[in-house]
Amino acid sequence: MGPEISQFLSGMKKTVEQVVIPNLTDRFAQEQAGIVVATLGFLEVIHDKALHYEVLENQLYKHLLSQIFSLFEQEKLDNKDVLASVEALREHFKTDSLADDCALRPYPFIRASNEVMKEGLCDIIQQQTAMPTKLRSEFEALLKPFFKDIEVRERSWVKALGFDTEADQLPDINELLYSDNKLRLPGNTS
Amino acid sequence: MTDYTTTLAQRSNPDDEWIANMRQRFPVEHAVDEVFTRKLNRRNESAEHSMDFANLPALLRDFLVKQTGQQDLVVENLQRLSGGASKEQFTFELSWQPEGSNERTTQQLMIRMDPTESIVETHRLREWQTLRAMQGEVPVPKVLWLDEKGDYLGQPAMIAEFLEGTVRPPSDDEKMSGVGMYFIPELRTALQEQFVEILVKIHGIDWRNKELSTFDVPKANSTQACEWALNLWQRAWQEDTLEAHPVMAQAAVWLRENMPVVEQPVIVHGDYRSGNFMYDDNLRINAIFDWELAYLGDFHDDLAWATLSLFGGPDEQGKGLASGLMPQEEFLERYEKLSGFTVDPKRLFYYHLFSYYKISVIAAATSLRVAHSKKTHLDAMMNFASGLGYLGLSELNRMLEKT
Repeated sequence: MGPEISQFLSGMKKTVEQVVIPNLTDRFAQEQAGIVVATLGFLEVIHDKALHYEVLENQLYKHLLSQIFSLFEQEKLDNKDVLASVEALREHFKTDSLADDCALRPYPFIRASNEVMKEGLCDIIQQQTAMPTKLRSEFEALLKPFFKDIEVRERSWVKALGFDTEADQLPDINELLYSDNKLRLPGNTS
Repeated sequence: MTDYTTTLAQRSNPDDEWIANMRQRFPVEHAVDEVFTRKLNRRNESAEHSMDFANLPALLRDFLVKQTGQQDLVVENLQRLSGGASKEQFTFELSWQPEGSNERTTQQLMIRMDPTESIVETHRLREWQTLRAMQGEVPVPKVLWLDEKGDYLGQPAMIAEFLEGTVRPPSDDEKMSGVGMYFIPELRTALQEQFVEILVKIHGIDWRNKELSTFDVPKANSTQACEWALNLWQRAWQEDTLEAHPVMAQAAVWLRENMPVVEQPVIVHGDYRSGNFMYDDNLRINAIFDWELAYLGDFHDDLAWATLSLFGGPDEQGKGLASGLMPQEEFLERYEKLSGFTVDPKRLFYYHLFSYYKISVIAAATSLRVAHSKKTHLDAMMNFASGLGYLGLSELNRMLEKT
């Protein structure tokens, strides 16, 4: 494959920065062009990691949802609405099975599957007020570390946009996604 | 971006049933419902927002002739203003004879106009009424004319006097107005007391004696004000987001289960922070801007927003400052002293969490939606602003961990 995407991005960035912006006289246009340059810089950092970001999320959501299903079974949850959300997710797993590592799937397939899982999880979260206290507490205990992971992952993903005052303390997205040149998947923390 | 799920497809192309469902699930004030419903009804129109404003001077002239009855007025030097993330803003010069004056004059004015779809969907008549209610109470630009539905200018818009002053201090190099803004110590000393005084005045205004017909009045000593506000932001999330997010779902559950009672609703500015005030050469605050999110509710909402770490850069020792002007404790102490209100830390916590929920809605959902459909005047910036949205989500999660 050639030329690589990074080459296009860096070429565009340099041209806008060094040719277009110096010749703009309108302040609004200058500001917008500056944002375009910053956006291109951001894309240079993240463009080759989007697929693996989604693969990782796919595995993490499957892992969490499996834990939630086990919890509900163990606690013999009988709330009809929550069970309907669980059933809808089980139906989805016929298309993208819990055991599928998604490595050979195209990006839109993974992204779509992840969105279905996110929507399903949100449905269950919204219905947690109907859960018995003990179950709700255990359910929330499963969510907390998952939310923390989301927080770090998303913050690392947008770090290169330059808003984050804690950027120095955050892992680079490359460092967060990979270890020994391999995607860090749940259960594979090496 | 593909509509990967049925929900995403419905959000992108809402039908009547889906819109009715949103309205039923999230009851809001009538004016808010009007603009949110209009947004959804218009979403199916495929047209991108046009950056071409070549026709605007002629439309503007016709509009002003109708408004003033003066055939010989002249509109000149119409220019786009930078800034103004939620609304398109232009300045122009109007040569005319103001009402009550015998002399012809040339005035610099500004237009504040809805883009095709905005990062925050708000009601122009409501903003107009708020600004008129504030006239003589706190420093605001004088509003002159309103095209409420966009019948004349193409989009809802209002025209106000253009004020000279400084919004972004010269020492500041931030990327988006109001985010992490830095004021040098001399400026802080000059502005901090005024910043608190004006907020106290806003909260002390007797809104019952003002023409605010676009505001619904919540029941005192109830959670209604908070509930309407929460419904507004939850509805915006549900209508706009391009991605479901479990932290947002969890936050919505917590916010609903913990809504505080509002004993006596006050006028809440809704976006009171650095970046939304301007000062003159004498270091007097001469205008408070962006009243589009004003509503009748809990004064803690403005206090929480103004003290968000996101809007306040640190001082020279690295200590975070409320809106870049003073330490949070000092801001709250001054507010209590001047207003006579007591700040409840629990409610302040609630509204801090709610503030991060709002930021996440604005910057991680609506900004990406309007950029995705190319319906704004700042598509590149709206994508870029999502970085702020994910910071909001992160802060939201950190606060949820403390609950």
